[in-house]
Amino acid sequence: MATPNQPDDFDTVPDAVVDAESKGFPVVWLLPLVALLVGGWLFYKTESEKGPEITVTFNTAEGIEEGKTYVKFRDVNVGNVHTVDFTEDLKAVELSIMMKAGSEEYLTEKSRFWVVKPRVGAGGVTGLGTLFSGAYIAFEPSSEGESRKAFVGLETPPIVTIDKQGTRFRLRADELGSVSIGAPVYFRQFDIGEITDYKLADDYSYVDIGVFITAPYDKYVHTGTYFWNVGGVSLSMGASGAKLEMESLIALMSGGVAFETLPEFLDTPVAGEDTVFTLYENRTKALERPITETATFVLRFDGSIRGLSAGAPVEYRGIRVGTVKAIELGADPNNKGTVGPVVLIDIEPQRTMNYQDIDKSKASEEEISEFEKDPVARIGMLVKRGLRARLQTGSLITGQLFVEVDIFPDAAPAVMVTGGQYPEIPTLPNSLEGIIASVDRILDKLEDADLQGTLKNLNALMVSTAGLASTLEKGMPELSAELLATLKTAHSAMATLEASTSADGEIGIELQAALKEISAAARSLRVMAAYLERHPEALIKGKGTP
Amino acid sequence: MRARDAGLASCHTCGLLLHLPASGHTHCPRCKSPMHLRKPNSLSQTWALLIAAMVAYLPANLYPVMTVVSFGKSQSDTILSGVIYLFVHGDWPLALIVFIASVLVPLLKMVALLYLLVTVQRKSHLRNQQRTRLYRVVELVGRWSMVDIFVVALLAALVNVGAVATIEPGAGAIAFSAVVILTMFAAMNFDPRLIWDYEGEKNGNAEPAG
Repeated sequence: MATPNQPDDFDTVPDAVVDAESKGFPVVWLLPLVALLVGGWLFYKTESEKGPEITVTFNTAEGIEEGKTYVKFRDVNVGNVHTVDFTEDLKAVELSIMMKAGSEEYLTEKSRFWVVKPRVGAGGVTGLGTLFSGAYIAFEPSSEGESRKAFVGLETPPIVTIDKQGTRFRLRADELGSVSIGAPVYFRQFDIGEITDYKLADDYSYVDIGVFITAPYDKYVHTGTYFWNVGGVSLSMGASGAKLEMESLIALMSGGVAFETLPEFLDTPVAGEDTVFTLYENRTKALERPITETATFVLRFDGSIRGLSAGAPVEYRGIRVGTVKAIELGADPNNKGTVGPVVLIDIEPQRTMNYQDIDKSKASEEEISEFEKDPVARIGMLVKRGLRARLQTGSLITGQLFVEVDIFPDAAPAVMVTGGQYPEIPTLPNSLEGIIASVDRILDKLEDADLQGTLKNLNALMVSTAGLASTLEKGMPELSAELLATLKTAHSAMATLEASTSADGEIGIELQAALKEISAAARSLRVMAAYLERHPEALIKGKGTP
Repeated sequence: MRARDAGLASCHTCGLLLHLPASGHTHCPRCKSPMHLRKPNSLSQTWALLIAAMVAYLPANLYPVMTVVSFGKSQSDTILSGVIYLFVHGDWPLALIVFIASVLVPLLKMVALLYLLVTVQRKSHLRNQQRTRLYRVVELVGRWSMVDIFVVALLAALVNVGAVATIEPGAGAIAFSAVVILTMFAAMNFDPRLIWDYEGEKNGNAEPAG
């Protein structure tokens, strides 16, 4: 309440100094603006860093945690697992992953995802770092193919990632052998690649194996290159003896393949991506020339062919000319109505292609090529000249047999039988069989000999020997009297000798004198030795005068 | 009667009683300190700070306040996810404290300031005493919301053991401290005398009759 006198008192109160009105924008209003700007920038930043949301399905979500598992490429975070859920059929887990911005163009049908966690495999231990940090999802970007948002994760890490340069090839094998994923590929025993995958062909007729050969070695793979299996140990018993083959200890444990290009195939073009090769069982098989032309012949043997197996070599004087194709039963020509072993052999003219004729005189190249053109006719001609086949022991230890063809001019004349399915080359018994046959013949002759007569003669011989003995018995007393007289004479001679050598005999006295002389000589020798011991210089200077 | 009605005010700095014009910038002739009957632009400044605080409140709650990196595993927590974590793991008293101190209090503070601003602008003269008490509470409680920020700052400084464990403050922490500071300034800029100004007007109207 204002009282009348109060204002008067207040009139003495001085006035405040009025400042000039400061006009302009109130600075405080910049604050909400700044807050808006900062907030908006933060929001924009997170939104712009947000990439596409994708889903990846795995069999299990082992080691994966919502919000904590990252997707990494070259160890850089490119995404984060948002949620983990099951697929509708509960058969897999579906990870919803927020990828970073800019990853859209690398999310295509060829992109791959897999979980990195500690693993122990043929190639060593991987992912040890994730023991502490927890599993993460590795991402392999690819800009090829159609872009997509849903992926199926790999259960095992891929062997070959995009940061490896090289070429992939496909191998076809009858059997998988010891090939395993991650197993090495050798080139001159260098580890230069890996087995990436394998699967059965759609019609199950072969095994399809993928290999990856790292650059720069991939350019050594030509279209004429041979691949073979080096895994494990291969022990083969053949006509050439037992053979143990092994590549390396690692290959022994994990398997593997090797390849080689023969010099004559080096000018074939370098093989491109996904070229298909045959994977051979071993190096020998791989480096064998691929045999395309064969001429099949039939051999019929009389005796047992135990020790001969399909695949055994056919040799002409030690040079391989073919292979035993099959062993079957067929009509025995010697014993009508029974069966005997029939051996089918393949004569392979290509095997002899590389042999050069050194003296060029006899079998000219034309002749060889003629042989290659029509081997059946040529062999038919040679059979007339004495070409025969026989079984030979390749190895005495294993007892493996092989087929030898050679020209035996002394063999009984025969011709090639061409009526059947295959032409037939006449055979000879093998060497061992021959020996047995001659022993048989000797025994047969022995059997035929007149044993009875021989025994009678022997008996007569015995009788006459007995007569001789009785005659000797009759002349015995006369003979013994004469022997006694001779002994007496010998006795008297001995007595005379004894008398002359006794001590007082003639010889004895002389012997005693000689012994005395020897002992005197020995004494003077002893004196000299004693003197020399004291005066060794006497040897040079002589005995000085005393 | 208010000092304002008499056109009088004492200098905040030296206490000299002066005649002041109803509006305009003035200063004390003795100590040269600026003088005013009411805090100049109080409402406008409070509005600006409050709006800034409200804007900052969104990222404060949406962005992680801290990221714990332990053995390569990193975990980011926002204020609310921390509260939920505590609650789920049975530490509900602690969860309640964090929730009240970090979520509820800043929110209520902003609502209270908003209410005060709106009522003053509408020249309301209802429940003046309660509103004044509300203002006092707002001013008092403001500084305690910084506890969260202290915790994060301490942890970030202390837990720095390389690969084993590292704690990094997140964008949310900065936004949250901005909220606390801005609301504190807003409360400071609000002139509680404004609450009573209009009561005086009303009373003044009734005065001649009385």
